[in-house]
Amino acid sequence: MAVDQTTITQLEGTPVSYEGGLARPAQSYWSESWERLRGSTFGMFFGGVLVVLAVIAITAPLFANFVTHVQPTSVDLSNNFAGFSRAHPLGTDELGRDTLTRLVYAARVSLGVGFLTVAIYLLIGGTVGISAGFYGGWLDDILMRFVDILLAIPTIYLLIMITSMLPLPLGPITIRHDAFSLSFIIAITVWGTVARLVRGETLTVKNRDFILATRSIGASNLRLMSRHLLPNVLPVMIVAASLGVGQIILLEAALDFVGLGVQPPTASWGNMLLNAQTYFYHSTWLVIFPGVCIVLAVLSANIFGNAVRDAFDPRLK
Amino acid sequence: MAEHLLEVRDLHTVFPTKDGLVKAVDGVSFHLDPGETLGIVGESGSGKSVTVLSVMRLLQRPGRIAGGQILYKGRDLVKASDPEMQEIRGEEIAMIFQDPMTSLNPVFKTGWQVGEPLRLHKNFDAKKALKEAIGYLQKVGIPEPDKRAEQYPHEFSGGMRQRAMIAMGLSTSPDVLIADEPTTALDVTIQAQILDLLRKVNHDFGTATILITHNLGVVAGMCERVMVMYAGKVAEQGPTADVFANPKHPYTWSLLRSIPRLDAEEHEPLRAIEGLPPDLINPPGGCPFHPRCAFRIDRCVREMPPLQPVGPTQMASCWVTQAGRDLNEAVS
Amino acid sequence: MSTEAPARPKLTKAWTAAEPILEVKGLKTYFPVTAGILQRTVAHVRGVDGVDLTVRQGETLGLVGESGCGKSTLGRSILRLVEPTEGQVIFKGEDLTKLGAGEMRRVRRDMAMIFQDPYASLDPRQTVGEIVGEPLDIHHLYTSKKQRQERITELLRVVGLNPNFNNRYPHEFSGGQRQRIGIARALAVDPSFIVCDEPISALDVSIQAQIINLLERLQDQFNLTYLFIAHDLSVVKHISDRIAVMYLGKVVELAGAGELYRNPKHPYTGSLLSAIPIPDPKVERGRQRIILKGDVPSPVNPPSGCRFRTRCFKAQERCAQEVPPLDTVHLDGHEAACFFPLQPGDR
Repeated sequence: MAVDQTTITQLEGTPVSYEGGLARPAQSYWSESWERLRGSTFGMFFGGVLVVLAVIAITAPLFANFVTHVQPTSVDLSNNFAGFSRAHPLGTDELGRDTLTRLVYAARVSLGVGFLTVAIYLLIGGTVGISAGFYGGWLDDILMRFVDILLAIPTIYLLIMITSMLPLPLGPITIRHDAFSLSFIIAITVWGTVARLVRGETLTVKNRDFILATRSIGASNLRLMSRHLLPNVLPVMIVAASLGVGQIILLEAALDFVGLGVQPPTASWGNMLLNAQTYFYHSTWLVIFPGVCIVLAVLSANIFGNAVRDAFDPRLK
Repeated sequence: MAEHLLEVRDLHTVFPTKDGLVKAVDGVSFHLDPGETLGIVGESGSGKSVTVLSVMRLLQRPGRIAGGQILYKGRDLVKASDPEMQEIRGEEIAMIFQDPMTSLNPVFKTGWQVGEPLRLHKNFDAKKALKEAIGYLQKVGIPEPDKRAEQYPHEFSGGMRQRAMIAMGLSTSPDVLIADEPTTALDVTIQAQILDLLRKVNHDFGTATILITHNLGVVAGMCERVMVMYAGKVAEQGPTADVFANPKHPYTWSLLRSIPRLDAEEHEPLRAIEGLPPDLINPPGGCPFHPRCAFRIDRCVREMPPLQPVGPTQMASCWVTQAGRDLNEAVS
Repeated sequence: MSTEAPARPKLTKAWTAAEPILEVKGLKTYFPVTAGILQRTVAHVRGVDGVDLTVRQGETLGLVGESGCGKSTLGRSILRLVEPTEGQVIFKGEDLTKLGAGEMRRVRRDMAMIFQDPYASLDPRQTVGEIVGEPLDIHHLYTSKKQRQERITELLRVVGLNPNFNNRYPHEFSGGQRQRIGIARALAVDPSFIVCDEPISALDVSIQAQIINLLERLQDQFNLTYLFIAHDLSVVKHISDRIAVMYLGKVVELAGAGELYRNPKHPYTGSLLSAIPIPDPKVERGRQRIILKGDVPSPVNPPSGCRFRTRCFKAQERCAQEVPPLDTVHLDGHEAACFFPLQPGDR
């Protein structure tokens, strides 16, 4: 294209000495949000706590081998209800199993289910929400009525119903009470709220001019949804996720506590609590430790979640 | 010198932000006499709205008045307490805003809202206030005012809502009416109706009016005097006829030449003002308009020109015109 | 544009510049109004209610009217961003209303749109380079990354932006600069026809002239045809060759820009012209105004006959009974839909 040099210099009227509002370096929404998050002391502190918990959970076997030198399932009946000692810093339970090791392994279950469930329900709820919001019409009607029905059933009831049917043989596979299956089960009962949230945000974003503009240059629906809608709907999903982790940890612990979640001998904070209930007056520590762990994890998740929400709030753009 | 009804002296209003201090109003002075119409013209960021919000002491935190005086009938409003300001607002100085959609409360009937200043300031009872409100609704040209008073704001059109706002503003017979971009959100034929109404109000009731707008055409038709603002400062002030015929500040001069005029000849080129609106946190040194000014000299880059009389009736803050140059002599 | 620019898409029919580039015939775009539990359609908002227009190549047709008149809807219907309910949109000889999605995509290389709100018309999550480059990717125009980037740089330069801004995000720019980005995006695939939907209404007054001048320069440089939609008649008169005035979904007057100003025939045009403030106190004081009564009627249930009659100072019985067609007043290149048009003495 023959660029007319004289006309170009006329247009570039911004003098070199003064940039007028562009003093900051290029910064995307994501890096801006991350900076905001970094500015929240509480948020970062409790985020750190979560990270530490996660690391401990992931490295549980290493922990068992190098720190406590016992396995979570090692039974030692001669040493049950032991007090605090070098060998068992937090004592032992009724079967002589080391409490600390069990707590660390239990962290795997609780945190694992927490994060995995959130990931799954974001995937399901997000897909349903974006499809319903973007296409509208009968698809929207059907999907949302389905969500309405799902949301009308009490979560606990649904969960209890499903988990009480386990182990459930389904053709070649059998669904058992393991953390992985539990994540899926919980996820399919709670994705409804996220779907609604995402659909709402999709409707808002869909009506913005830039979607119309991209359509006017010839973009297909798929391109619009994946490259334009999704990145703009993501903040809302991040916020939902960050607040969901705490809720799911509690929910999972509750399930375990009523005996329908992860089954012993696999340790989870919930079933450790259930176990310890019987020995409440005898060895109160056995109740306190798992409880403290749950509180710590949920509190950290909630506070960090709040900080994430404040930092990523789409309205703060 | 006789006391002005309203006199603003060297007003400074700032907004602390995480990027720095925004000097929204940076040394603004003007006055208003009884029955006058004053137009305040500027673009976004010029500080025109913040100026009148400061006068009404309606600034939202973290904005605050950092200096200067606002003399209303001799009293300095900057030093007035909140209860004192509440007495003045609505009763002596009334304000109407740009967006009539959100200025009225959707859950209360219109008649009730229009009567609110009367209940608040004149202690009228509900019945009497409603009767007066209906009277004012009629004065502002709303047909069937008694029925309309019983309706909610969403049942009104934009133009009628603005009329209702004006009725509300007038109900206590204030000395000053401040209209902040009252017609910007309205269609041009409705705008003509509202401006007509404001002219009538000024004429019949003698209310001094401050009209804030970015539209030079509106100012030309409505205001006796005009103040042009740029980057939080006053660029020039004076009688409207003089300022338009013989602008004493390059910003005004350039602006007049960059606006398409309905009565212009076909294909008369627009002379655009180059560059961008100023950064209010780190304004350019010296005169804030200098990066975009066709008449710039060295002094403009270094020193901020004070607002001085230029010519018999006008005041301008420009070194070039203060030194005697006539902008209209410039070719193109 | 550039010697490297990809070839224009092939059309199914041959078209020459002697014919109009765009012909709109009997276009109607209605929006359903639903109510009740079953969301049944109870009425229609008649956004565009029967419009005929012709646009010649290289000209600027201005489309002016107040809120609710349907001008934006008309612009979007022409591009099929909103689906027309009835009528034809013939672009370079092809009826766009009959094309499928793939064919429409091909046509979209030749038609573009510039939007009003510079803050909403750019994806906040994309960089400037990505925004301007997207049309190039959608139409698979460049296989070489280097050439693609060169094209983006060219486009940014041509609209007056520093090409170093490539990696920045929209929120770092002023309104005027964002509008330039939108223009660069519209130009990316070298269209011949651009619908400008209120491109300067959201900009500061001192910036508006820059964008107007830019649009005019681009039109000369690249032989563009514009449909310029705006509510500000001063701006439309400056940039347009011909102007169509719309009211409640219909075109009520069509004339050359200067002729419309000097000799308006439709009472609505007259009142519109008299309502527009002119920045000159001497002129303003001396003006005769035609102040309209009342408000714009609802587009769901427009008045019978001539829609403007409820606010018209010249309305008579016939106006309620018959709908005046656009060529009721038929002068040379000047049409108006009025049985009792303005006479010189009326103003």
